[in-house]
Amino acid sequence: MQAEQTTNQEPTEHITLFAEPIHQYGSFTVTNSLLTSWIAVLVIIILALALRSKLKTVPGKLQNLFEMILEGALGMCDQVTNDRRLSMKIFPIAITVFFFILVSNWLGIMPLGGFGIVERGAEGLTFVPFLRGATADINTTLALATMAVIGANVFGVVSIGIWKTFNKYVNLKVLGGIFTKIRHEPTIIIVAPITFFVGLIEIVGEFAKIASLSFRLFGNVFAGEVLLASMAALVAYLVPIPFLFLELLVGVIQALIFSILLVVYFTIAASDHDSEHEEHTEARAEHELSSPSPL
Amino acid sequence: MDSIISTFHIDWKIIIAQALNFGVVFVVLYIFALKPLSKLMAERSQNIRKGIDDAKTNAALLSETRAEYDAAIVKAKSEADKIFQEGKKEAEQKRTIMLEDAKKEVAAMVEGGKKTLEAEKVKMVEEAKSEIVNLAMLATEKLIKSKQDLNSLS
Repeated sequence: MQAEQTTNQEPTEHITLFAEPIHQYGSFTVTNSLLTSWIAVLVIIILALALRSKLKTVPGKLQNLFEMILEGALGMCDQVTNDRRLSMKIFPIAITVFFFILVSNWLGIMPLGGFGIVERGAEGLTFVPFLRGATADINTTLALATMAVIGANVFGVVSIGIWKTFNKYVNLKVLGGIFTKIRHEPTIIIVAPITFFVGLIEIVGEFAKIASLSFRLFGNVFAGEVLLASMAALVAYLVPIPFLFLELLVGVIQALIFSILLVVYFTIAASDHDSEHEEHTEARAEHELSSPSPL
Repeated sequence: MDSIISTFHIDWKIIIAQALNFGVVFVVLYIFALKPLSKLMAERSQNIRKGIDDAKTNAALLSETRAEYDAAIVKAKSEADKIFQEGKKEAEQKRTIMLEDAKKEVAAMVEGGKKTLEAEKVKMVEEAKSEIVNLAMLATEKLIKSKQDLNSLS
């Protein structure tokens, strides 16, 4: 399979920060990570269809495994949201992200690095593998992180309304409150502008979320691939095996972290801070009224 | 920013392609796996819940039926006892009445016997008296006759 060009020079293999192109369709470049991503999609589709065809009231092995994963994941989702109805809304996206990242991560560490093409570049002949972990490409993690953050905000708009979501970032409500509450709370003249600027910082925070989600996943997976390649280069046999298992574990952990963070972002987006604050104030007032007077 | 883009080869076309990949995975997984599996699990949970509820209802019904059965048995026993006591009392009364009747009958029979015996006795005495009279008359006749004979002989 290794389509090696006829040359006397030995091809060199470089670990690059970016995914290498393996084919060009007009202006669209097919990279090895995109190919892995397509394979991951195919694997998930085959698994989903296999599961669908074997669905029974009394579950088989595959269905049992999926049910266990689903129940565990839903329980974990509940721990974050504290609300089963909210969990049921977020869960399909979170579990899809989990499976997509997991399969992509595991495909990336499959020992199929020997399949690829040899290209002549500026540094001579270089070997380009067909498969590279989809999440070891910043484009994939950036796509996932952007969708997660945009999805969370859309979910927030659907859950609590566009006005409340808008006020989380551009808090016009608190600015308006200066004129209505200044007589009762004079400190609002200081607190309101601070709250307004905190809202503006939240906009930056959304971009920071995209950066942290994408670079965390990319960094961990890419570091794993570098580690495996280094180990294989140092000692070809047996020694890389424990690291392969470690990377399998890292693949699960990273998929889990990304999914849980996605659930956290969706939960935060769906929570109404104002009503929570009002509820808290009301509860405090009720408590003060109901508690006996020290006099 | 440009250095980041060039270092990591950030390409918006690949980003969109990866987003599309994720979209395909989401749609397929939701339609073919998550939705039917969730539905099946929910149905199973509902069946189990229904089974537990039915078992609880059946247990309650069984306990209620057992209580009713016990109450019916106790009631039947008490009724049977009551009927037995009533029967016993009635039989006692009947026995007493029959005994009294028998006593009366016996007394009447004894009385009748006594009367018959008395009548028989009187009759016998009278018969004996008439017999004695007859015998006395016969003896007297014989004496007279024999005296006459003697007289004639003499």
